[in-house]
Amino acid sequence: MIAYNMRLAVKSFRKNPGITALMVGAIAIGIAACVIMMTLYHVTSGNPIWWKSDRLYAVTLDNWDPNHPYDSAHPDMAPPQLTYRDAETLAKSRIPLRHVIMRLDQGVIVAGTGRPQTVSTRDTTADFFAMFDVPFLYGGGWNAASDANPDPVIVLSKAENRRLFGGVNSVGRMLRWEDHEFRVVGVLDDWNPQPKFYDLNNGAFAPIEDVFIPYGWTEALQRVIVHGNHQCWNFQSIDTFQDYLNADCDWIQMWVELPTKADRQRMQDFIDAFWAEQHAKGRFPRPRNNRLTNVSQWLKDQRVVGNDDRILLGAAFAFLAVCLINTIGLLLAKFLNGAPLTGIRRALGASRRHIFIQHMVVTGLVATAGALLGLVLTWIGLWGIHELYAINAQLDAPGRDILSHPDFYSLGTAAGLAVVASLAAGLYPAWRVGRLAPAAFLKNQ
Amino acid sequence: MSTPIRPILSSLLRNRTGAVLVALQIALALAILVNATYIVKQRVDTINRPTGVDEPNLFAIESFGFTPRYDHASSVRADLAWLRGLNGVASATAVNSAPLTLSGSSSPWYRTPARGPDDRVGSIDYQIDEQGLQTFGTHLIAGRNFRPEEILPAATAAHQDQHPPSVIVTESLARKLFPGGSAVGKTIYDFLGRPTTIIGVTADIFSGPWQNPDEAEYTTFMPEVPLTWGFRFLVRTQPGRIDDVMRTVTQQMQELNPDRIVRSIQPISLFKKWVYLNERVTVIFLIVTTTLLLAIAALGIFGLATFNVSTRTKQIGIRRAVGARKHDIIQYFMVENGLITSAGILTGCALALTVGYELSLYYHLPRLDLLYLVGGILVLWVIGQLAAWQPARRAATVPPSVATRTA
Repeated sequence: MIAYNMRLAVKSFRKNPGITALMVGAIAIGIAACVIMMTLYHVTSGNPIWWKSDRLYAVTLDNWDPNHPYDSAHPDMAPPQLTYRDAETLAKSRIPLRHVIMRLDQGVIVAGTGRPQTVSTRDTTADFFAMFDVPFLYGGGWNAASDANPDPVIVLSKAENRRLFGGVNSVGRMLRWEDHEFRVVGVLDDWNPQPKFYDLNNGAFAPIEDVFIPYGWTEALQRVIVHGNHQCWNFQSIDTFQDYLNADCDWIQMWVELPTKADRQRMQDFIDAFWAEQHAKGRFPRPRNNRLTNVSQWLKDQRVVGNDDRILLGAAFAFLAVCLINTIGLLLAKFLNGAPLTGIRRALGASRRHIFIQHMVVTGLVATAGALLGLVLTWIGLWGIHELYAINAQLDAPGRDILSHPDFYSLGTAAGLAVVASLAAGLYPAWRVGRLAPAAFLKNQ
Repeated sequence: MSTPIRPILSSLLRNRTGAVLVALQIALALAILVNATYIVKQRVDTINRPTGVDEPNLFAIESFGFTPRYDHASSVRADLAWLRGLNGVASATAVNSAPLTLSGSSSPWYRTPARGPDDRVGSIDYQIDEQGLQTFGTHLIAGRNFRPEEILPAATAAHQDQHPPSVIVTESLARKLFPGGSAVGKTIYDFLGRPTTIIGVTADIFSGPWQNPDEAEYTTFMPEVPLTWGFRFLVRTQPGRIDDVMRTVTQQMQELNPDRIVRSIQPISLFKKWVYLNERVTVIFLIVTTTLLLAIAALGIFGLATFNVSTRTKQIGIRRAVGARKHDIIQYFMVENGLITSAGILTGCALALTVGYELSLYYHLPRLDLLYLVGGILVLWVIGQLAAWQPARRAATVPPSVATRTA
């Protein structure tokens, strides 16, 4: 029976090949547009640490100008970073299971006789690796004792280890970072959280840092920050490096891990108490706005998903709707055009069910062809966008990379969408033609 | 003979589904076309915003000193001398940040030392030397340029707050600070209340380090060697020489001084492309999909009209046999298509305006310009009629004898 229906379908396609091609093309293009935008949106809107999302909290305090909010478009938002001194004080709390204070840095690295290269660097406290579930290929992080009077230990990203040491186990090897001797204690495995939730300041889709060193190096080296983001409103005269650290400027990111609601409440109370004490001394002139924000809320608050992403996704679905309506119209016309033939089949004994199935086979073939072509078009489109984004690599700059890992979520959704959408398109026409009274057409012959 | 709308309408109402599907397609297509075109227009405007700098002939170089032997002052001096001596270089300067690199700094000015909150004018800082203005490609419209001896040495980690006694500001900033008259010779105050004299006013540049156009034209040039960390050289070449010069720099500059790293030798035009990447993706996606959408809609209408004609061959034959001319048959199908298209366009107008309103509400886009709606209506009307033209012509060729054949 299937073979017979297939033969009928092929016959019907031969009858009007142009229309068949148009239907397949419309479905393919509609699906491709949707899947391309879904992939972009999925990369943008993901939560890269969803399994821990509601126990990791970004810590923020509003230390901004009493006359102007930090972000005039969203006046209820505090600055996303802390001052050096506030971070230092808050990090002394033992309430969180883990905590990190950190910042983006940059240095020049030399291993052996190799060429010196600049590397993006994260100055961070020890809990960073355990807190964010960072995978290690070799070795591990450092312990908290290495943070304050910083030990010259360094963790390399997998890519950096490949560049410096050809990818071998380099734990124990020595290298120079900013002209200081460092010992490699760990090499990361593949890790590329997108969006880079733990520090969104320099591009939400920036790659992870090349190397990681203990936080105390920030103070020990006395280098003025130029990477990352340093924002002040209350300018003070800065005559010494200590003045720089004491300034009411935001440039340190802080995260805490609070496993239970009770922990969270205790931490909130602790921060509020700190705020009240400072407020009494004349700091924090704005209304109290001390926040512990979990990862998924953080990504929303920091507006990682851009307006254009939403608009394009909407446009893509509207586009798919037009393509499907187009296909419904054409299928209906095609089926009704073949009604006299259908009439004969009915008169010769084919049941309504048979007629329906026969037309659904036609629809199914169109849908499958459309879906397959749609996937090809999707790939071409994603490749095109990937080429546009290649400029990021050229400038060594952050940017989302949509082809770096195959996105099974979008691919699965695509296949599902293709089949469901096109079968739905064929349902009504097939039902309509099945209900035609055969006599009317036979009379005409 | 007047156009026979009534019979066309009643026949349409008897075969609603096909007509409704076409009208729906046209409605959606109109809503998408109008709003997509409007968004594209705005993004293109953003991308083409003038930068006010000589961007085709401008490139930037990053330099990182990293050994104890590195001496910032002498290294910058030597590198600048070398760059300026290269064949094809028009001018060069050391800057704290280059246009459109997304990395830079800004700070406020005040007209009075009291520094009231309403007196504050934010401005982008560029630390440059006496060749800076020429390198950016802007020109003085009042006052004078910096003299070489006025350029302050670089600040250090321990002494970051250097204070230039004189600055040059852009025209817009000058007007914002002193709306009444010339700003040259006037005193302004920094965030600590220290006075500075405006010695010159330049034409506006619109390219701050960030792509955000708000107040990008408020720029202050300061006579100062930038800090060691994160500065760039900005080089302006003679027209057409940028590739040669960049090649020479890439090949030779690193060797001049092993105590610093030279990297990211890139034209400002590339940074501009990078900064507007998301806008480009939006524009390209919308143009490609909207074009395909119109093509699909046109072909779909064409296909439906063709079917329509072939199922009605007999009817047409009868009409021809009872006296209808070819012209009447063509007119019938064109009017029928026109009716369907009009219904679709009416629905589409409502849809387009709703979508435009929602976009302006939730995404802070400017309200839809009605000219775009008028343009969209014309385009879809023409597409609808063109798509029906060929099938209608074919219908007219049906001979009257068809009426007498079968049945």
